Amino acid sequence: MITFTHVSKYYDNQPVLRDITFTLPKGEMAYITGPTGAGKSTLLKLIYHAEKPDEGDIVVGDRQLQSLKTSRISLLRRDIGIVFQDFKLLNNFTIFDNVALALRIRGINEKDIRSVVSETLKRVHLRHKVDSYPQSLSGGEQQRVVIARAFVAEPPIILADEPTGNLDPNTATQIIRLFLDINLRGATILIATHNRELFKYTGKRVLKLDSGNLIGEETG
Amino acid sequence: MTLSFSLKHAIQNFGREKWINILSIFTIASSLFIITLTFLVVYNIELFTANLPERFTMMVYLKDNLSEEDSRNIVTALQSRRDIRSVNYISKDAALKELKRTLKDASSILDGLGDNPLSPSIELKFNRDMITSSSLKNISETIKAMPGVDDVYYGEKIAEAIHNLKSSLRNIGIILFFTILSGVIFVTYSTVKILFYRKKEEIEILKLLGATTSFIRIPFLIEGGVIGFFGGVLGSVGTLSLSFAVTYRLSTIIPLLKTLVFPSEMFLLLPMIGTFLGILGATIAIGRLRF
Repeated sequence: MITFTHVSKYYDNQPVLRDITFTLPKGEMAYITGPTGAGKSTLLKLIYHAEKPDEGDIVVGDRQLQSLKTSRISLLRRDIGIVFQDFKLLNNFTIFDNVALALRIRGINEKDIRSVVSETLKRVHLRHKVDSYPQSLSGGEQQRVVIARAFVAEPPIILADEPTGNLDPNTATQIIRLFLDINLRGATILIATHNRELFKYTGKRVLKLDSGNLIGEETG
Repeated sequence: MTLSFSLKHAIQNFGREKWINILSIFTIASSLFIITLTFLVVYNIELFTANLPERFTMMVYLKDNLSEEDSRNIVTALQSRRDIRSVNYISKDAALKELKRTLKDASSILDGLGDNPLSPSIELKFNRDMITSSSLKNISETIKAMPGVDDVYYGEKIAEAIHNLKSSLRNIGIILFFTILSGVIFVTYSTVKILFYRKKEEIEILKLLGATTSFIRIPFLIEGGVIGFFGGVLGSVGTLSLSFAVTYRLSTIIPLLKTLVFPSEMFLLLPMIGTFLGILGATIAIGRLRF
């Protein structure tokens, strides 16, 4: 589902990722871990084509990203639900509209949007906040809105960048359970985190990054 | 992508940035109002001058000793021209009779002249669409060169002055029209560009979520169109007020203003032009979206 082959990325001639090779098969859930600045976020950005690799090949689903036409980037991104570290919620949109946006972009009709969004918000325990605006929500609640937006359209791939960074341990565990549940439904999930507690005892694959190098793998 | 969402989004955006939008609407309205005034001036002058060639005559004086057959040949030749609407032959006798009629009581002064000293002549009237001051000059030269023609007379200076006034006004009108039109496009361009920059983050998020360029563009185009439309409506209201003021108030003081014509299509056309220019300005402002 996601394949990196000898991928390197440089910013101002400084390597951020060096010769990364790994495969994440369809339906697998895995973690990328490493200290701040290890290149975790850049690796995720390469997958949703917000960054382009300087060397190597990336395949996402059946798409070879090197030869991906600009007009096809939006289609690639519709196959990926992204949980951004900085949320990227639209402050002038209600919680409902923020989550619904992912469906509207995909051209789903308004009647279906209403029921699907409502159901999704229920799963992240935010149904009562449907008409609120992001700024009136706590960090943890905003994080859950972002997660809801990422999986509301049931994309085949979900990428999460530090999805529990703003959450207390209990809420973090709930969020990870949510990801495990989404994974059980067939989604391929890649979570970038520096928090080792998050993947402990999950039995999931963990890719270890350090200074842009993939230094090994372990099982959580 | 749902159009209802784009519409809702555009209306929300419009409300959020209402001051800049209202300012743009007023700028567009006043620009369209000036365009309309220019158009009205040019249009009314065109209407006024369009009838002049009908009233315009050219006199062709024939040589005194010309035979009747030669005179007939000249008349036939002139009748065959498409730019001449009517040809009226005035014989020597008819000319003298007319002169006597004009002089009335003083006509006795002609008695001492003996033979009729007047030349036969031809009076020409023209088709309005086919003549200009330069073509009149050409026609007069061609006729003057015909055998049997002694002289040609027409109000050369007047024709030229009218033609010059008409073409200068038309040129000024065209320049003013395009200058202000570019101004209107620039106003919408600037407004949408400002809105576009303010929403840069929002656009970036939409791109990351997989929105197509049209999904991102459409609310901005709607907004540009709405600004242009309301600018046009306001411009139309301004022009309508002016036409009422001129027709019912000012014309009682200056009767000449009664002759002014305000084409009614203009009032409907302005909102449409405004909408088109608004969308055009917004399209230029958004430009190419890069992923």
